[in-house]
Amino acid sequence: MFTREQISDGLQRASYITNERVETAIFLALALEKPLLIEGPAGAGKTEVAKVLAEILHTELIRLQCYEGLDEARALYEWNYQKQLLRMQAGEQQGLRWEELSEHIFSRDYLLERPLLKAITAPRRVVLLIDEVDKADEEFEAFLLELLSDFQVSVPELGTLKAHERPAVILTSNRARELSEALRRRCLHLFIDFPGTEQERKIIELKVPELDARLAAEAARFVGAIRKLGLRKPPSIAETLDWARALVRLGVRELDTEAVRTALGVLLKHEDDRARVESKASALAPRRR
Amino acid sequence: MARLRDRLVSFIAALRAAGVRISVAESIDAMNAVAAVGLERARMHEALAAALIKDEADRAIFDESFNRFFAAPRADRGEHPDQRGEQVSAGAGRGRPGDDPFSLPRDDASARKSEQPGDAALASRRDETPPALEAKPAEKAAAVRHDAEEGHAAGRNSDRMRGSQERGAADAREESRTPGIDAARVARIRAIERMPFDQFSDLDYDEARAALAPLIRRFRIRLGRRLRLARTGRIDFRRTIRAALQRGGALTDLNFRARRPRHVDLVILADISGSVRYAAQLMLELMAGARGCFRRVGSFVYVDHLAEADFEDGYLVMTPALDLYARSDFGRVLGELWDRRAGLLTRGTIVVIMGDARNNRLPARADLVREVARACRAVVWLNPEDPARWGAGDSAIKQYAREVNALAPSRNLRELQAALAAIG
Repeated sequence: MFTREQISDGLQRASYITNERVETAIFLALALEKPLLIEGPAGAGKTEVAKVLAEILHTELIRLQCYEGLDEARALYEWNYQKQLLRMQAGEQQGLRWEELSEHIFSRDYLLERPLLKAITAPRRVVLLIDEVDKADEEFEAFLLELLSDFQVSVPELGTLKAHERPAVILTSNRARELSEALRRRCLHLFIDFPGTEQERKIIELKVPELDARLAAEAARFVGAIRKLGLRKPPSIAETLDWARALVRLGVRELDTEAVRTALGVLLKHEDDRARVESKASALAPRRR
Repeated sequence: MARLRDRLVSFIAALRAAGVRISVAESIDAMNAVAAVGLERARMHEALAAALIKDEADRAIFDESFNRFFAAPRADRGEHPDQRGEQVSAGAGRGRPGDDPFSLPRDDASARKSEQPGDAALASRRDETPPALEAKPAEKAAAVRHDAEEGHAAGRNSDRMRGSQERGAADAREESRTPGIDAARVARIRAIERMPFDQFSDLDYDEARAALAPLIRRFRIRLGRRLRLARTGRIDFRRTIRAALQRGGALTDLNFRARRPRHVDLVILADISGSVRYAAQLMLELMAGARGCFRRVGSFVYVDHLAEADFEDGYLVMTPALDLYARSDFGRVLGELWDRRAGLLTRGTIVVIMGDARNNRLPARADLVREVARACRAVVWLNPEDPARWGAGDSAIKQYAREVNALAPSRNLRELQAALAAIG
């Protein structure tokens, strides 16, 4: 069992810069053995939480990427039909009776484990990441409810499979669609917003140590400012880091209007966002020329 | 420690009263969460938030209630000591860190305790207010809470709309003395959502604009969901065959391809003459926020002429500028729209008209509405006027009603949003 401080240390060692809110939520998810639903803007570090958690627990991360049309066959399990057919043909040649055969072809050997089943049958505690659950259909969400409350599934031919060790479950959502109340009720909730300027500066310094400390602070301030402009797609943390690396490569020493303009494509991915920021670049750039 | 448990129960009850939905299971989670993290104030704050608050929009109410129920130790608050009573302090007060001051509420008795319906619990708590709440500032806070609850309850009931508005005004006065965002603000927003547009003042308009952001979000979700709900149409061959393989090749289930989002062009015509201008402006702003859900959006405003409308930093900009005090003439506006139809009105276009159709007895030109309806996918008319007055006096709405595909009242923000969501 983990203490609150161990989580805090673990996060630091995994170089994930965070705050009290995130630490407490992760700790509670482990302590209460409840799934943790993380919401927030794209690129604020939601998925990263699961990766870091797996690192802290020294365990495997099993990831289920949700998309429209995801069904049980892709998420839970599927019989390996081809293999079963081959076994049946071979069995016929050996003259096996049907009873013997059916016992054989409906065993675990012929089961294709998909992420959810893998997480449940894993011999030790794993981290299960159900990514972008809002992209999946509502039916799939309803199916998840059962799984998340009992951590068991029934395969008709095999009986009920129960988790030895409850996996630590992280769900993420971008709010493409409103999740059901029922799902929210079963999870702990965490909202991760973009980091503040100070926090982002620390992240830049940690991940792009080549960048001059003064420039890093200015870059963090600039990104924080353009996120407030109400852009179509505000820059994510990953994009900030890419931008910081670009600044290093371009040999930028002063973050003036010109420097901001040259590498803006790394930060902004929509033409109208770009035009908007460029028109205000001179006001936003920390050092004017 | 039974007292802390009671305090948590009444805290949860207060959140419920402020409109946050909390299930019994979640309140048990909250107890377990506090047991797990201990009584250090900041941690307890985040732990309760993780267990109880499942929508970031409720966070402000939560923070405010938390500060009221679990006051920070004196040093943190930097308040004048004699202003405060002996408030229950979660952090430094009673619970010394280290010793577990209250039994883990996992046993049945305590679980049952937290199952008590929240409102009843709160009502009984209010009578036997703990000494902490009898201090002066706390008393004030309790009064505000009381107001907020009443305002909220009234807000739910549309018959008592007026009552909730008055309450909303009372809350507004109260707010100047209450720091931060609070339950009173939520009650005001709910009241403004139901306030008829024709009673709006400039002040109400500003407040309604503040309430618009969550509305836009909900609106976008509703539009998005409508586009997703496709369970007929083209068969998804690969998925159907895969499913059939599980059953030995029998086609028991058909899987359909999700319908691709329809490309909808939108043309909005909004009357901004005096009588309906608040409704029109709010609608334009709402639609501007949901622009991404449509392929193209053309926004126009009119009084006696047509002008293009745009939003810049939250302000309506029209080109050319219109005389807001001119006599409304929708017939002429229709003519101007019809002249510009090339590239604007297509088979995929939905035309949304917002106006009271009070045409000063000028020619209504309902025939042009028919032509527009024929050229487009649909024409939807939203009327901010009370349906009881439709057709009375110089209202030409009855003539237009025959030609449009849908006519919906939109007297307040709620109705407006519902009517707009139906067109997606």
